Formats: sequence, structure tokens, C-alpha cells
Amino acid sequence: MTTPFFIGLDVDGAGAHPAAAVASGLVPAELVSGTRLARAVRQAENAGVTFVTFTDALLPAAPGAASSARLESVTRAAFVSRTTTAVGLVPQAPTTYPEPFHLAAQLASLDIAAAGRGGWLAGVTRTPETAQAYGRGPVADVEREARDVVQVVRDLWDTWEDDAVIRDVATGRYVDRDRIHYPEFEGESFSVKGPLITPRPPQGQLVVVAAAGDVAPSVRDERLVDVTLVGGADVATAVAAAEAARAGSPRAGVDLEVVLDGADRTAAERLAALDAAVPAGARSPWGTGALRYEGHAAGLVTLLEGLAQAGVDGVRLLPAVLDEDLPVLARDVLPALRAARLTAAPQPGATLRDSLGLARPANRYDARDAVAVA
Amino acid sequence: MTDHPLVRPHAQVHFGVFFQGVNHTTIWSDPESGSQTDFASFERVVRTAERGLFDAFFLGEGLRLRESRGRLHDLDVVGRPDAVTQLAALAAVTERIGLVATQNTTYNDPADLARRLQSLDVLSGGRAAWNVVTTDNAWTGANFRRGGYLDHAERYERAAAVLRTARAIWDAFPDAGDDVSRVEVAGSALRTPADVAIDPTTPRSPQGHPVIFQAGDSPAGRDFAAAHADVIFSAHGSVLDDALAFAADVRRRVVAAGRPEDDLKIFPGTSIIVGDTPADAEEKARWVRSQQVTPATALSIVGNVWGEDLSGYDPDGPLPAHDPVVEELGGERGSATTGARTREIAQKWRAISEAEGLSIRQLVIRNSGERGFVGTPSTVAEELTRWVRTGAVDGFNITPWIVPSGLDDIVDRVVPELQERGAYRTAYEGTTLREHVGLREPLTRRAAAADVEAPAA
Ligand SMILES: Cc1cc2nc3c(=O)[nH]c(=O)nc-3n(C[C@H](O)[C@H](O)[C@H](O)COP(=O)(O)O)c2cc1C
Repeated sequence: MTTPFFIGLDVDGAGAHPAAAVASGLVPAELVSGTRLARAVRQAENAGVTFVTFTDALLPAAPGAASSARLESVTRAAFVSRTTTAVGLVPQAPTTYPEPFHLAAQLASLDIAAAGRGGWLAGVTRTPETAQAYGRGPVADVEREARDVVQVVRDLWDTWEDDAVIRDVATGRYVDRDRIHYPEFEGESFSVKGPLITPRPPQGQLVVVAAAGDVAPSVRDERLVDVTLVGGADVATAVAAAEAARAGSPRAGVDLEVVLDGADRTAAERLAALDAAVPAGARSPWGTGALRYEGHAAGLVTLLEGLAQAGVDGVRLLPAVLDEDLPVLARDVLPALRAARLTAAPQPGATLRDSLGLARPANRYDARDAVAVA
Repeated sequence: MTDHPLVRPHAQVHFGVFFQGVNHTTIWSDPESGSQTDFASFERVVRTAERGLFDAFFLGEGLRLRESRGRLHDLDVVGRPDAVTQLAALAAVTERIGLVATQNTTYNDPADLARRLQSLDVLSGGRAAWNVVTTDNAWTGANFRRGGYLDHAERYERAAAVLRTARAIWDAFPDAGDDVSRVEVAGSALRTPADVAIDPTTPRSPQGHPVIFQAGDSPAGRDFAAAHADVIFSAHGSVLDDALAFAADVRRRVVAAGRPEDDLKIFPGTSIIVGDTPADAEEKARWVRSQQVTPATALSIVGNVWGEDLSGYDPDGPLPAHDPVVEELGGERGSATTGARTREIAQKWRAISEAEGLSIRQLVIRNSGERGFVGTPSTVAEELTRWVRTGAVDGFNITPWIVPSGLDDIVDRVVPELQERGAYRTAYEGTTLREHVGLREPLTRRAAAADVEAPAA
């Protein structure tokens, strides 16, 4: 059976356009409220979305502006892990400055709370202001740093074998120490001893998602990224980029910004109003290299069918304004894709790996596996 | 027993629950014992606590797996989730109970840590707290970019700077309006290579910002709590005279720090075991202690003091006749007692076991048997009420001896007894943790508040 075309959806804040919060008229408390977040993710789940991403950055999109209010992404994903049952949850967390040991534990804990629906959008930070927030000098080679961090996080997820907890009443041993490992990782700019404080997550390894080019190839012969997201000014470029990305990761999808026709305004009118409302000093402009679609829902269905036919594995949709574009996606776009058997809604109880057609990886430290493979 | 005056005749008992992630007090070997890792276990405990109108659910932190003499310690419950992540998930399945995350200040950056804690506070509607710990060992540092880089005194200096920075980050967001202030801290204060400057993104929660707990027992630790914390998580929860002495000491420090003496709430860790009759309860307590201290655990605890592998010894026999082979504890890493003098401990233990005729295991059981309250629901309720009304404590942070059912008889049997005495709430009166505990405004927001008394002259 072929794996269905995946549909990712970013559910960050008011939407992906830098003026989304201002245009929605949401005050910061509403913008970041748990109720609003849970409602949006539930709506995405009910619409049959494969996974949601939680775009994040330590620093605000527009410094000093309350409309840049945003909560940390792993915390957001963990919160909705218990208000959903099927959709994958993929927080964006940076590889550049945070402690990889903390990231590994946080993401493993997310996967446990979400019963195997966790993923990680491994980001990089290129702004020197972020280094300053950590009291550090800027990292010169963020892609190489990303490689080391993804590598050590993956190593840490394997430090406990799946059956390390033995609860052996006869000897009084709770764990088998031979099934818990020290990776003793030596990266180019840091080292980590291990093991992780948290047992191996349900998926073995969370699904690692990254933008093409953000994570340098590994010095070890391992695939670090499960799903690569590519951009492209036009469809042909995006398709070619996805094709190229598949050399380094099992799945490749296209990042797609969407602005859809509304009830009383066309997509072009909406976008013009949004562009005019961008707060002064905004750091992240709309249009970061992703493919863009503006127009009516039927046209988007056609575009997605075309991408699937061209061999792309899926998309991540970046709706300009969540409250306006998600209802249209849910009503007019996603049902049409399911009717055409292009996509399938994830099933309750399925892991994100299941939904993406990715196998559960063997544990790199499990000597018994190594013997079986040899 | 000394009779202490009931200086707070109307004080109420408050409860928190400490879900121990790494310990030998949770009896994992019992057939009733569930998973220590599955989310369902945490959910069952937190829901029971919320049904029992507890103030808070509490998670500890340890950032390196414990070791005994260079090998992983394999006898105890181990393998806990990241606290903030787990509490965020628990926030979605609860409505009122406070959610306390233990997070150390040595191996966290204020930019990250303040943001994660505030995110939990906002998502939970103002129910988060941060239990500030310093992680008193360099060995944990091997898991982090910085390594083991600070000694004991420097850890508290950095802790204060991290906490100050976190508060500045939380207070940078306006209650209304659009201007978020930039937070700047000299790198030397935080012991970072460069100066720190942050533009915050996290809005205030209904309680302003997370409540501050602190756990630490040295004079420096108590002073830190007296200056900065809302609640001190103490280890003085078994003997009333000891608890009163501790309370007097920290209140003196609180007043010296310029705060009203009831500004810092005291919640010791403790355990509660109830039975139908006093004899029942005593027998259950004896059984619990014997299950907690397995033969292997007894030999491991004693072996840690002696600094050698004693697993070949008979747990039902006497302590080793020779002196410890090491000067200082250090063989077992990741436990609270590292650094104590081994010979003194060994001498004391030998004297007790000779005087009382105790085997290795009996001695260890005796040493760990001093914690907590044992009795019928009624006698325990009476005793807990006495503790808060003599002013020894404000509440108790209960460690259940079994997961996930360990709070059931406390909620179903002790809480009603307390309520009958008028010593326990019958409903949550507020929605935030700050309200449950009965705290004033956050320290940084008191300038205009009328309830701050002048420091005692
Ligand atoms: C009741 C209590 C609970 C503690 N819980 C933790 C914990 O969960 N994680 C941790 O790293 N340290 C914990 N600590 C250790 C303290 O944060 C501190 O590092 C240690 O007690 C040394 O400081 P001190 O000399 O001031 O006591 C705890 C201490 C106490 C007294």
C-alpha cells in the first residue's frame, strides 16, 4: 500500500502572516490562551490533518510589541496532547542555543504524553540577537551545530532500551543496567555524557522534521531527518527540491503558504490588507521561501493533487490567518482530498510514524538487534 | 510530648503531592503498583489530588541517572519525564490544582527557563510554580554544554541572578498596552560569557507569574528562600519540635529579609499511613517500611556509606566490623546526602544497632522510619491540624508510598476528617495556585500594595 499524501498544518498563534495577530484583533491573552489553542488543534484533527506544527522562536517577531505574544512550543504541544487522539504534534524547537539534553527529555516526554504522536521540527537560529539572549557568542556554523544536536538527541532517545524497566522482584532490581547506555557524545562544540533521564519514547524515535539545508549531513552514516520540508518560488522548483531532498530523508514535503478566498473578500484583497498592517520592525516577513497559494479552495485542491502526482510526499500548510483559512481548509479542501483518496485522516491510537508510513526504528545500542541484523 | 500553644487557632491544613520520579519510597514491587512512567499513572494521581482539593501537584528533577560507585543504580524507581512538559499535559486534564515544576538554575538558561515556566502558567490559567533548586553536584554537568562549572556558594549566586532575570522577563509584559520592555542583565551576574539581553514574548497569567518554591536546607538555602520564595519545601515533616525550630529559624530570616513573617509558607515533605485502628496503622507502616527497604536496598545504602560493594553481606546480619574505606560520601551520586562524613555516620549507626540489636536491614528500616504520620484517619487529622495550628507548617507535601493509588485513602478518609474539624477547605475558593496557598502579590509587584509591613526594627 502506498503511504497517503501527508497534510501538515501550522497552528502557531493567529496565523503565519506577520500581521495575522493585528488583523485578528486578538489581545495577547486571547492569542496565547490554552482554550483557543486546543480549539484550533481539535479543528485540525477533525479535518483529518496528519500533523500540526507549532512554529516558534525565542524572540518576538516585532520587538517590543505585545502582538508578538507567543508561548514556548513544546509546552503548547504537550498541552494539546491530552485534548486530541490522532493528530501528530510537531513543535519547532531550535538546535542552535538550547541544551540538547533538555530538548531530548522534553521531546521524549511529549511523545509519552501524546502516546506516540510526537515530532520535532528542528530549527536553526541565524539571528545574533538570540545568542545575546543566552549570553553567548553567535554560532558560526548553525547547520553543523544542528547536525550535532539532532545526532545527540537521537542518541539520547535510544539510551534506554525498550525493555530496560524489568521490575525484578526476586533480585530487587527495577531496571536492568545493561540495557541503559551512555552515548558519551563528542560534538564539535559540546559533549554529552547521558543516559537520558526519561525512558525511550513510544515511537522509539520521534519524527524529526527539518527545512532543507538546516541540518548538515551527518558525519555518521545515519539519516538524521525523517521529513524534509522544501520551499520554491514555483511548483516546478518545489517539486525538484523535494525530489533532491529525498536523497537525505525518507519523506519530503513542500511548505505552502495559503491565503484563501473568504466569504466577502478575495484572497488578493485579504493579502493586501494584511501586508498593509505588518507591524513596524517585524523580523519575519511573509514569504520566507515557501511556495505560495492565493485563491479559491478548488484551486488549492488541484494544486495539491498536482504535487502528489509529481511525487511529493506531502505538504505543510502555513495559513495566513488561522481563524479565516482553517475553516475553509476544513470545509472545502481536506474533504475533497480524502474523497479523492489522496489523503487519509490519521486514526486514533496511531503513532505519527504510522501516519507517515515510517517504521519504528531499532535501538542503536541494542546488541541483540545488532546480532539479529548481522 | 511538649505542649505547644495553638498560635494560629483557625489555620487550615494544605496538601500538595510529590510524585517522586526517582526514589526507593515508592513500592514498585507490590502487585497493586502501576507503571511509574505511563501518563495514566500521573493522571490518576493528579485527579485524585484535585478531588481532594489539594493545592498542588509536584514533580522533582534530577538531570543525571543515579550511580553507585560508577555504575547505574538499579534498585529504585527511575525514568521520569521533563517536569514542565509533563505538567503542561496534566494542565489539560485538570482545572484547579497547582502544578509545580522543579527546575535547577545551574544548567538552565533564564531565557528558556522563564519562558517555559510562564508558558505553563498561562496555559494552566495561573496554576504553575517553579521549585528552584541548584543541583549540588558537578557530575550532573557532564550532560550539559557548560559542564560542572560552579561550586556550592556560586550556585546560589547564580540561582538568585537567574530568578531575578526570570522575574524581569515575566514583568516585562504589560497588563495592558503594547510596550514590552527589553530585559538586560550583566553577564557577570549570571556567569555567562557575554551580557544577556532578551525581548520577552510571554504574557502574564492570571496569577501574574509562577509561584516560587525553593528546596534546600543549608543556611544559604534558607536565606535564599527567605529573600525570594513564596513557599519553602523543607525536609522537616516528621517531628513537631524539629519542625517548630525550623519554622522559627526561617521566619527570623524572612523578617531579616524585610518581609512579613508569614510571607514564606512552609510545606515539608512527609508521608501518611492510615489504618482502621492505631494497631492496624502501625502494622501497615511496618510493612511499608519493610517493602521500601528491600535486602538489596539496605546493602546498597550501607555500602554507600562504607564506600564499597557490600552486596555479599547478609542483610539480616550485623554492620561491617571495619571502618568505611572512604572519607566522604560520594559513591552514590545523585542523592541528597553527598558530602557528609562517613565515619561519623558509621559510628552513629553502629552504636544504634548494637544498643537495639538491629541487623543491617533493620537499621536502615529504622532510619527511614522516622518520616511521616501513622494512625487512624481521625488521629492523623488531629495531628496534622495541631501542626498547622502551632505554626510549625502551613501544609504538607505528601509522598505516596504506592503509585497510582497512594492518595486514595488520604483523600477519601483523612480529608473528610479534617473538613469536619474546620481545618480543610470544602471547595477551591480561587482558581490560581497563588490563591490556593493564600499568597500575597508577587514580590516584584508589591510597591503599591498596602499589605506589605515594614521590616521589624
Ligand atoms: C525537600 C528537598 C527536596 C529537594 N528536591 C530536589 C529535586 O527534586 N531536584 C534537585 O536537583 N534538588 C533537590 N533538592 C536539593 C536542593 O535544591 C539543593 O541543591 C541541595 O539541598 C543543596 O543545597 P542546600 O545545601 O542549601 O541544602 C531538594 C532539597 C530538599 C531539602
